[in-house]
Amino acid sequence: MRALTPLEQIVLPSPQPPQTYSSEMLQRRFSFHGLKQLLGAADISKAGERMAGLAAADEVEREAARAILSGLSLQHLHDHPLTNAHGQIDSVMRVNYQIDRAVFAEIAALSLGELKDRLLASKGAEIRRIGTALTGVMAAALAKLCDVHELILLAKRLKSGAAARARTQVGLPGTLSSRLQPNHPTDNLAGISLLVYTGLSMGAGDALIGLNPAIDTVDNISATLHHLDKLRRETGAPTQVCVLSHIKTQLACLERGAPVEIMFQSLAGTERTLTDEFDVTVELLDHAYARMAADGPLGDSAEHVMYFETGQGSELTYGKHEGIDMATCEALCYGLARRYSPFMVNNVTGFIGPETHLDNFEMIYSCLQDHFMGKLLGLPMGMAPCFTLHSQVSAEGQQMATELLAAAGANFFMDVYLGNDRMLAYFDTSGHDDQTLREVHDLRPAPEYLQWALTRGIFSEDENAQLQRGPNWGKPEQFCHSELDYQRLLESVPAAYGFTNAGPRPANRVARTLRGNQAVARQAIYADLRPDELGFAANGLPAPRYLTTRAQNREAHLGNPELGAQLSADAQATLVAEHTDVQVVISDGLSAEAVHHNMSDLLPVLFDGLASRALNLGQSIIAPYGRVKLAEAIGEAVQTRLVIMLIGERPGGDALASRSLSAYLAYRLETASQAEAAGFSGNPQIAWEYTVISNIYRAGLPPLEAGSVIAEKALQILAHGAAGNRLEHLLKQRAA
Amino acid sequence: MLSARHVRLLGLDFGSTTSSALLAEARLGGHSVSGRMGFAEPRVLYRSPPVFTPFNGDGLDEPRLTALLDGWLRDCGLEDEPPFAGAALVTGLAAQQRNVATLTRLIEARIGDNLMATADDPGLESWLAFMGNCGLLSRAHPGQPILNLDIGGGTSNPALGLDGNVLACGCHFIGARHWRFAPGSYRLQGCSEQGQALLEHLGIACRAGDELSTGDVERLVGWQVSALEALVSGDAAFFATPIGRLHEQLPLRLPELPCAPAITFSGGVGELIYAYLEGAPWPATSAFGDLGIDLAQAILASPLLGAGPHLLPQTRGRATVQGLTLHSCEVSGSSLYLPDARVLPLRDLPIIARLPLTASSASLASALDLARYRPQGACLQLLGASPSLAALRQFAEYLRAALQQRPLPAGQPLVLLLEANVGKTLGHYASDWGRLPQCLLVVDEIPPRAAQFIHIGRPHQQMVPVSFFGLE
Repeated sequence: MRALTPLEQIVLPSPQPPQTYSSEMLQRRFSFHGLKQLLGAADISKAGERMAGLAAADEVEREAARAILSGLSLQHLHDHPLTNAHGQIDSVMRVNYQIDRAVFAEIAALSLGELKDRLLASKGAEIRRIGTALTGVMAAALAKLCDVHELILLAKRLKSGAAARARTQVGLPGTLSSRLQPNHPTDNLAGISLLVYTGLSMGAGDALIGLNPAIDTVDNISATLHHLDKLRRETGAPTQVCVLSHIKTQLACLERGAPVEIMFQSLAGTERTLTDEFDVTVELLDHAYARMAADGPLGDSAEHVMYFETGQGSELTYGKHEGIDMATCEALCYGLARRYSPFMVNNVTGFIGPETHLDNFEMIYSCLQDHFMGKLLGLPMGMAPCFTLHSQVSAEGQQMATELLAAAGANFFMDVYLGNDRMLAYFDTSGHDDQTLREVHDLRPAPEYLQWALTRGIFSEDENAQLQRGPNWGKPEQFCHSELDYQRLLESVPAAYGFTNAGPRPANRVARTLRGNQAVARQAIYADLRPDELGFAANGLPAPRYLTTRAQNREAHLGNPELGAQLSADAQATLVAEHTDVQVVISDGLSAEAVHHNMSDLLPVLFDGLASRALNLGQSIIAPYGRVKLAEAIGEAVQTRLVIMLIGERPGGDALASRSLSAYLAYRLETASQAEAAGFSGNPQIAWEYTVISNIYRAGLPPLEAGSVIAEKALQILAHGAAGNRLEHLLKQRAA
Repeated sequence: MLSARHVRLLGLDFGSTTSSALLAEARLGGHSVSGRMGFAEPRVLYRSPPVFTPFNGDGLDEPRLTALLDGWLRDCGLEDEPPFAGAALVTGLAAQQRNVATLTRLIEARIGDNLMATADDPGLESWLAFMGNCGLLSRAHPGQPILNLDIGGGTSNPALGLDGNVLACGCHFIGARHWRFAPGSYRLQGCSEQGQALLEHLGIACRAGDELSTGDVERLVGWQVSALEALVSGDAAFFATPIGRLHEQLPLRLPELPCAPAITFSGGVGELIYAYLEGAPWPATSAFGDLGIDLAQAILASPLLGAGPHLLPQTRGRATVQGLTLHSCEVSGSSLYLPDARVLPLRDLPIIARLPLTASSASLASALDLARYRPQGACLQLLGASPSLAALRQFAEYLRAALQQRPLPAGQPLVLLLEANVGKTLGHYASDWGRLPQCLLVVDEIPPRAAQFIHIGRPHQQMVPVSFFGLE
């Protein structure tokens, strides 16, 4: 592993005041104030850029921006760093300037348009050489000038030389690898074993067996790492293991001697996002890299041991993008990742939701941009085109993305069983998808892994040395000691739809169940809230009042979470201070069906419980298109002590779970309790404390039971003047 | 390395021939198939070597039992930190000893707050043996009935299960140790009541000190195999004879089945059968001082007992201790009505009635009358998997009215055991949201079980273990 360049040795330009870029097209004059606006307008219109006010108003404006961008020299881009709100170069941008100065000197005078033409006329090695001289901003600017064919063609040429080696070598030409992601909602080791066995039996996991943990503690992560390592050793699969917890947790696990073969961290393209939201600094990344080189189990044998995840939009959703568009932020992540010569970089564009990528087109195009930008900057890019059900991205769109990305030479995809991650409530590629792509594009697993899989009968070669699925492909039981061991593992995976296959695809029965559940779950998001079905009249409860949020329709509600957290001006005007003890608020959130299916059982019990004490209750409020933080807006307006916010959860892929409701008990801190809460939380500005009761639906916490659970907790909150962890702490103290 | 949801479970099995202990660790969590709380990812921490159950000439040998028990607890590391749950069961001929109560008292004095200890509970033993040996197997073969024959020294405990649920249990005095021999020979040293009766029934004149002939041995085990065949074929007439009745403690009543059951074995004899089938040689003649080897050989020679699908069960031997450790208790849901956890544990609580949640006020009042005579507390098992709000309110109103009219003595616990996940709501309604001064507990998500008593352990992560005994 190579030594890191000291940060202070990176040569930086001086920040410049924003320049206005103007041009004329078809008798329309266009002006863009600063490079950030220009870069934003030059991209296709994406939900995130529209929300941030960076997207071009129309196609003509976009082309005008692209035309201006095409004429800017690389030296100009170099000399105008994108700065933060204080006009400074942040630490992520600083690392992006760690470029090959000699190569840069060769190309600095080229305009972006000229550079693009030169790259299209070049072979892979030359493109890669030029990439070493580019910052993330330059790569992003170039990507905005490329059409779909160009993004695929240039990336494809970069496949040769994009491989990285740990125990296996991933990314060689002619290969397609996968990261096996055996996530389980409770980190159940038996469930994890089954998912690992299933993935391995399908030829997946040659890049990594990497689990996203449900519980991020050193104990749990160490235990899970040891378990994955045991599975790797027992099966003999040549691969590497990783548990994707926070980098600090992994360092602590490494300290304990846990097999941290690959060190993972999510990256962001701005320092504020990286430090405030991900709790990571460049110095910490440097430290982790050095520790892995010194003490990592693969430190002696592997060339690359770091694993990063990125995806367009995280900086924007945290409101810390510094006015930079999503694609450029993403490229800045790559400029940071490059410093550590990673084994894998995985792009999960689509994970966040419709506030960043509304539909298939936005998601697919962003994925192609990301893959190209990453490869251009020399990274071993894998792709995870994914979606949540509250976006308009569909399984078909995701599959189209994978076909295009496979054509572009992505190093690896994910293997989430049937594409449905129950732990993270999103949809990704599956082992079936990976094998299908291998067969469509004539690709193989990593060579070391392939040899193992051939000996296991997972693959075989025909008389023409063509790779085929072998007799043991898709048979996870081959790794179990007995039929009963397999049964024990089967019982540990919740609601698995089945393990039968049709060629490289899941059997039709399995696919129909999967897609049926997905359809029902998605429908829950798009259902309108029907107040008559909430059971107020049927249960003899006082009629509720209706308020609106700033989200005037579903599109706005899904596309901009902030709008649903605020009352509309009209609603605000109707509310006065009521000084009540409890205010119940009902909103559809991300599932109106969750509200419909639970409320008529839950509400009467809740109100019976609240009525058992002499509490002053506000008239219930129904507020469609709401988000959790709406509780605070309403609570402040009516000056209540406690808001009970009943709201539909974001559906995952299970039909029943799409009816899952949560209760957020938001306690408004008064003067005395505020001081105690500030001391307890370490946040001097804290104004609200929350207790959350989730998973309310028939197969979770049934609504009849949830009503009294919520009522009991509300009475405790009011009696103790505390909510959340502070309340539980007080209750424990009292019990002791 | 473990989360707070991990608990330790202990099983102690005192049988006719051997006794053993098993300590396991498991995680409390929802079962992905049933959705109910239970133990996941069990891991054996300690398994004692089987030891001969200490008898003296007059019953159980108390000093040796005390030493045995204390040794196990020490080896398990349970002296300072008791297990979350588990059970101790005295079975077979050990349970017939005059001083058996001493053994349960020894256990209760040490870890009785956490462990249910019971003797001579044949239905429970059969149920546990099935769950320990075939629970997983049965779920792996849905639709295939499985009849498990747990054959030990004193008893054979048959249990029929389907899809992981036990449908029928029995208990019969068929076992290897009804005749005790000097090891390595057929020189008779003693026999049980049933053993003596069978010698007489078969006209075998043999007393202590005499050598049993090979033909006599064949006739004895032949009769026992016939008895087992009668169990498998549902031949009730076999046990209607005087000698048959003497061998039947709990009749096995087989229901109509969609197909012939697969037969599995457990217990000491079962262990011998599977060891032989896996290639081990038979031990030397009467190596254990009983007819276990002969019985195992005779069973394998029986066409009827070897018929049906061949399924390989989990433990193949000590299924009872496995069942005791991992299946002796149910885990409640996490939203209980438990205003004061200090009332727990509750031991030996009689189940005074099993009522539907739609029961009339008169039925409920009758049950409460029975509860009043149980100063240590009583349990009402309430049936109904998904009650309506109206039914809950109605039942709670009946209960509250009855208790207001005739309160239970102060501090006397009344436990409502529910199948549905509505314990907190029922408890709040029944107690008028905590204002009724009665010691009321509602424990939910417990599947109904036909038993006479329950034991409720202390809570862990808002969940409590509930053990049933006195299975009917």
